[in-house]
Amino acid sequence: MNATAGAPPILSVQRVRKSFGGIRAVDDCSLSINAQSITGLIGPNGAGKSTLFNIIAGLYRPDAGAIWLAGRRIDGLPPYEIVHRGLTKTWQIPHELRNLTVLENLLLGAKRNSGEHLLNVLLLSGAVRSDEKQWRARAREVLRLTELDGLANEHAKALSGGQKKLLELARALMTDPAIVLLDEPVAGVNPRLAGNLMDLIERLRQGGRTFFLIEHDMNVVMNRCDRVIVMHQGHAIAEGTPASVKANPLVIESYLGG
Amino acid sequence: MAIDTGILINVGFYVSFSIVFAILALGFNLQWGYTGIFNAGIAGFFLIGAYTAAIAITPPTPPSPGYPGHLGGYQLPIAAGAILAMLVSGLTAIAIALPTLRLRADYLAIATLAFAEVVRTVAINLEPVTAGTIGIIGIPRLFTFSGTNSALFTTGTVVGVGAVIILVLFVVLHFIVESPWGRVLRAVREDEEATMAVGKNTFWFKLQVFAIGGALMGLAGWFFVMALPYLEPAGDFAPAVTFSIWVMVIVGGAGNLKGSIAGAFLVYGLEWSSVQLKDLAPDALSPSIPYIRLMIVGALLIVLIIYRPEGILREKKRVLR
Amino acid sequence: MAIPPEPESLSAWTVARGGRGLFHLTRRTRRQLLRGGVACLAFVGLNALLAARFGVSILNYTIAGLSVSSIVIVSAIGLTLIYGIRGFANFAHGDIIALGAYVALFVNLNGLSLIWGTIAAFAVLALFGILFELVIFSRLEGRGPVPPIVASVGLGLIIQNGIRTLATTRPWLYPVPAYSDIPIAPGLGVNPIRHILTPAIGLLFVVSAHILLTYTNLGKAMRATADNLELAKATGIDTKRVTYATWAISCSFASTAGVLLGLTSFLRPEMGLNILLLIFAAVIVGGVGSPWGAVLGGLVIGLSQEMSAPLFIWLGQPDVIGLVNASAYKVAIPFIILIVVLILRPWGIAGRPPAFVSRVYFVERITQAILSRTAKAEQADGDDGG
Repeated sequence: MNATAGAPPILSVQRVRKSFGGIRAVDDCSLSINAQSITGLIGPNGAGKSTLFNIIAGLYRPDAGAIWLAGRRIDGLPPYEIVHRGLTKTWQIPHELRNLTVLENLLLGAKRNSGEHLLNVLLLSGAVRSDEKQWRARAREVLRLTELDGLANEHAKALSGGQKKLLELARALMTDPAIVLLDEPVAGVNPRLAGNLMDLIERLRQGGRTFFLIEHDMNVVMNRCDRVIVMHQGHAIAEGTPASVKANPLVIESYLGG
Repeated sequence: MAIDTGILINVGFYVSFSIVFAILALGFNLQWGYTGIFNAGIAGFFLIGAYTAAIAITPPTPPSPGYPGHLGGYQLPIAAGAILAMLVSGLTAIAIALPTLRLRADYLAIATLAFAEVVRTVAINLEPVTAGTIGIIGIPRLFTFSGTNSALFTTGTVVGVGAVIILVLFVVLHFIVESPWGRVLRAVREDEEATMAVGKNTFWFKLQVFAIGGALMGLAGWFFVMALPYLEPAGDFAPAVTFSIWVMVIVGGAGNLKGSIAGAFLVYGLEWSSVQLKDLAPDALSPSIPYIRLMIVGALLIVLIIYRPEGILREKKRVLR
Repeated sequence: MAIPPEPESLSAWTVARGGRGLFHLTRRTRRQLLRGGVACLAFVGLNALLAARFGVSILNYTIAGLSVSSIVIVSAIGLTLIYGIRGFANFAHGDIIALGAYVALFVNLNGLSLIWGTIAAFAVLALFGILFELVIFSRLEGRGPVPPIVASVGLGLIIQNGIRTLATTRPWLYPVPAYSDIPIAPGLGVNPIRHILTPAIGLLFVVSAHILLTYTNLGKAMRATADNLELAKATGIDTKRVTYATWAISCSFASTAGVLLGLTSFLRPEMGLNILLLIFAAVIVGGVGSPWGAVLGGLVIGLSQEMSAPLFIWLGQPDVIGLVNASAYKVAIPFIILIVVLILRPWGIAGRPPAFVSRVYFVERITQAILSRTAKAEQADGDDGG
């Protein structure tokens, strides 16, 4: 399962296990993601995809196994540490910060914002202000990119479902990630917006970022992903190009028989 | 003299105790209103601050027949008492926070309520330190006056100092909660997991807020002994104090500093006027007035939390350029 | 009360729970019974040791502990049921206990015996419980744990001060003849009411709660609802009715606990608040939502509080540290146990760890550092050996 032609994978999951009360949600799962790729993760409901994402992002602690991000081990690190190393995730059900505005939601993604230290706020207000100004400019940029700029000062709770998905992505981008884990980025989004969103992801990939996404929409998986990984009962059972995965008898069986 | 000084002093008491409650409400609002940390042990931190201040600044009290004496006699300056009160209450808050802050809000509520009751029991019984239910007496005043109207002047200076404290607290707290730091606090309140996933060490932020809130409650304790130079543990630090602070913050609006101050003046106003009314009420009713007031507080809690949980003054939307 | 859940679905539910039903002798249950037996033996051994070292009169504290435990357990079962089904800590439970005690007193003062008073309080409090859910708590469903806590504090204030207004603050006493202690050994005696009747009623309630929860349809529906609300709804359980029934049972149990508590000394309006913290500690130590956990927690809390009393009395001696009012500090013991449990096992002795526990990373780092160091040391030892 190694990456193509020498380039080391940006993310590598090795034999990760996690059980909840006797049920193995993720069971001996190994996979790797190439840098600057869009990789899809598919599988039937309950295959452990979202649990795997939560483990990679550090929200759950794996029972066993190792996770490597750009050559450094990240399993066991707290989620904020993992974000600082360049990996961030979004949720299937948007976790927007409801009573904060869209712009405030984005500003939270700012890494090493000096204003988030109380002593700086009290003693170095000049530096804090200039830092904040830079971050606001950056947030405006990301908002333009995700076409949310008209809603900058609306409460996040006032957004539509599709806009919340965009907000999730925008907030993730604010952390300047090398790799983003997207949990069903276009589920429940209208087709036009979904198309735009995937176009944006494609552009960002060309800009050097990596995307790893769970998706049930086969159109998205087949047309937009470079590689597809199939999960079933906690394992990664197959991987390859979308076409090869589609033809794999094991995959067909797990979807129909599982 | 057209105005009766008695009435003025009485109003002065109302204002100074309202300030005590306002400081408590600001501390609790920072914890719950901004960060979503639910503290049911406000009275405990308040008590620790009050006793720390009283013990630090009071002159030695020799035990006499009928008075067990208390720890103290350090005669530190009054300002040092304030700093010590904040420090000790803040450190206590950290000690409570370390094991409990990661737990769900209901566990934290139970643990803090239990903490406050244990602290109160200790204060009632640890006579060598606190003089028990007899209490600490002879706490120095901020300024001493002599001659006619000295009581009025004393009350006046307490009110003046309190007003300055509230003003300074309001300005400083407003400045820090409207900073990027405060933005993280509101994010933790909305969704701790999501805040962690955008790279914030949420436990660290919660710890800071719990400690600052605890320190403010300690400061309120210090100001309490400034307003009333006599300290007794049984009534003034009962859980009902904590519950009154909740009402003040909910009335004023969670996440709204001005609201907390207004809520404190309003809800304590209810208590104060009920005491004033006691003389006017018919004899059969007058002993029940404090209980009826607490029943109103209880009903207010229920009605507000059901129908107006965001308070009467809503949190403002931050429009940024 | 006939709540008709599908029999198949219920058995499916039991299977899904991995046979956690008590007295179904699964491996887990047998292990629990074994552990319980060991704990009982250790407890008896400890008491034998204490009696041998300090004389039999020290066992008075154990007996007092069992009495306190009984009251705590009866209340804690009611609290933990509500906690499990409605997902919040009912801060008014202490005041509901006091209300039960006063209702029994009221009936008693109007000419009926205390037994009738207790029965009347049981029924009246059931109605109150349904009323509380109907008027207050049903409106706060789905709002997270804090709003119902705030509302329950409000309710507690209304009850407590309502009692003060109507029954005045004077300490009332149930008109029960003062039985003197029955001596069992020199220096050791038991009070017929406090030490025989109270634990007997406590045991009666534990057994009835067990029968209710294990063998009746209502009880099974209650457990299913507490375990997984959505699943319970999906299997056709009328969860609203279950919730009302739970409130009725919780408050009825509380009323009897109130009468038992009133029999130990005077009735005071704040009597419930003082015992509330013991009950909370018992519920959390045992594991929220688990009635057997409440029994276990109640025993741990009640016994440790009362049995710590001689320790404090010893500390109070002038030649030790001369602590004034030493025995008053025994109330700190449940708090210390509570904090220790919250640090080490926040889901309680009998509870299950949740899927997602919020983590404290610096604690993990410290343990990790220690573990890796010992691992390295072991490795080094192994290398030496090899």
